Amino acid sequence: MEHNIREEASAVVVAFEGDVDLESSRRAREVLLECVGRKRAVLVDLSQVTYIDSSGVAALVESFQSARKGGTTFALVAVSDATLKVLQLARLDKVFTIFASVDDGLAEAG
Amino acid sequence: MTGETTTPSLAADGGESIAAHLELLADMGRDFAASLDIDATLARALERITAHLDGEGGALFLLDETGETLRCEASSGISEITGLTLNSGTGIVGRCVQGNVGEMVRDVAKDSDFFSGVDAETGVTTRSILCAPMSVKDERIGAIEIINKRGGDGLFDAADLNVLQSLSTSAALAVLNARMAAALVEQERIKRELELAAEIQRSLLPPAQPAPFPIQGINHPARTVSGDFYDFFTLADGRVCFNLGDVSGKGMNAALLMAKTASLFRCLGKTLHDPGRLLGLINAEICETVTRGMFVTMAAGIFDPATGRMRLANAGHEPPLHHTRDGAFKALEAEAPPLGISTGLVADDVYPETEFDLDGGTLYIFTDGVTEGYLEDGSTFEVEGLKATLAQNGALTLSDRLEAVVGRVKRGEDALRDDLTILGVEDVR
Repeated sequence: MEHNIREEASAVVVAFEGDVDLESSRRAREVLLECVGRKRAVLVDLSQVTYIDSSGVAALVESFQSARKGGTTFALVAVSDATLKVLQLARLDKVFTIFASVDDGLAEAG
Repeated sequence: MTGETTTPSLAADGGESIAAHLELLADMGRDFAASLDIDATLARALERITAHLDGEGGALFLLDETGETLRCEASSGISEITGLTLNSGTGIVGRCVQGNVGEMVRDVAKDSDFFSGVDAETGVTTRSILCAPMSVKDERIGAIEIINKRGGDGLFDAADLNVLQSLSTSAALAVLNARMAAALVEQERIKRELELAAEIQRSLLPPAQPAPFPIQGINHPARTVSGDFYDFFTLADGRVCFNLGDVSGKGMNAALLMAKTASLFRCLGKTLHDPGRLLGLINAEICETVTRGMFVTMAAGIFDPATGRMRLANAGHEPPLHHTRDGAFKALEAEAPPLGISTGLVADDVYPETEFDLDGGTLYIFTDGVTEGYLEDGSTFEVEGLKATLAQNGALTLSDRLEAVVGRVKRGEDALRDDLTILGVEDVR
């Protein structure tokens, strides 16, 4: 798993690439919580995520909970088909705010 | 560096001193091999090394786990510094450890790396130092330092350094062995505790019921402990309450949350006979204490064997399959998210229920460990593979059919990447 963080005018955009599984989810968790800790809106770009397991989803859930507690926006953007299937099957699409593209997310966060 | 240091060379030495050296080396080796107390053995070895090299004092330093601090584990002669800690780059000993080479400093006053702080504390005047690293291959363990040669011209020579280096290597191996033995003991202790935890976990699963009981289940943990669980129990009116759940992640934290969720289900399920409300209550309880974003997917229901009527609620779990009497499979997708994420995600905190007649068919609930499991040919089982296996084994008893399913998924070393759990509810009227 690779990741990339960039600061945009209206949000921090963190993009993950590859498999977010038991091996890499600890790193994903640290990255996500660090982004949420910046006290700005966080958009998680999942367009390049090829596989996500429940430990990866837990990292997203914890970050979502942390952002909600801090009163900041946390949203998933451009979710890859493989990831969306997992989220929809578990009805996590009812939990997370999801935008079709990074631009949609940035417009909404702004 | 202004001090005089010498790279050890094969110095000519009298046969007598070589024999004495070999004897000391052999004695130390025996002592290390026989001892259960590495600290006491190192202290004894240092006493003998100091005497053998005719030094006034000696000290044995070990690097701590971070590699940043050297701690004096044993001292001898005039050096009473056991317990003293130094930054791992300080002094001649620090230089010796960092460079992983022996040091012979004949006049410390001329060596700018000499750290006079120890002398200031002990009142000892250090004139010369002989120091050899304790290391095994590239692993730095520490160093042995001998100060102030008594006899002869009062100066250590290259032969002394050679001797010290061979002795310190022997001590290094002993320390490494002792550490490996300690790690092994710790590993064994953790393994025993995990096995105890696994035993408790297995006791949380219901015992298999003889036919014609309508529910059977199987759970195979990928590791010692499992994040999956299932349960069923019969209510006073003859209906059977059941569930199957999967905690996110693996390992001990998943196992502990599994134990909590399973206990909540069993306790609350005995008095609350509405699956949707039951899941709502369990969700609220878990949400109060759960950490690290962990969550639980769960399908729970109540089945009436007398009528074949089924009530099912699904909190984010992999869709259970209803295998109907005419051979069709209907997937019962979750209508609500998993437990433990948040309250207020479903109306009135009551999870939606589906009600239907099992009508001579079977309901299968399973974890993704089954559908994502590897087959012998390296491919994954998938829902289609599961359906095919269930259909092919329709003539078997429910329990044998479930065994046939888990038998398809490879469970050799490392092959089982997730816990395998499957439950079947059969209308046997």
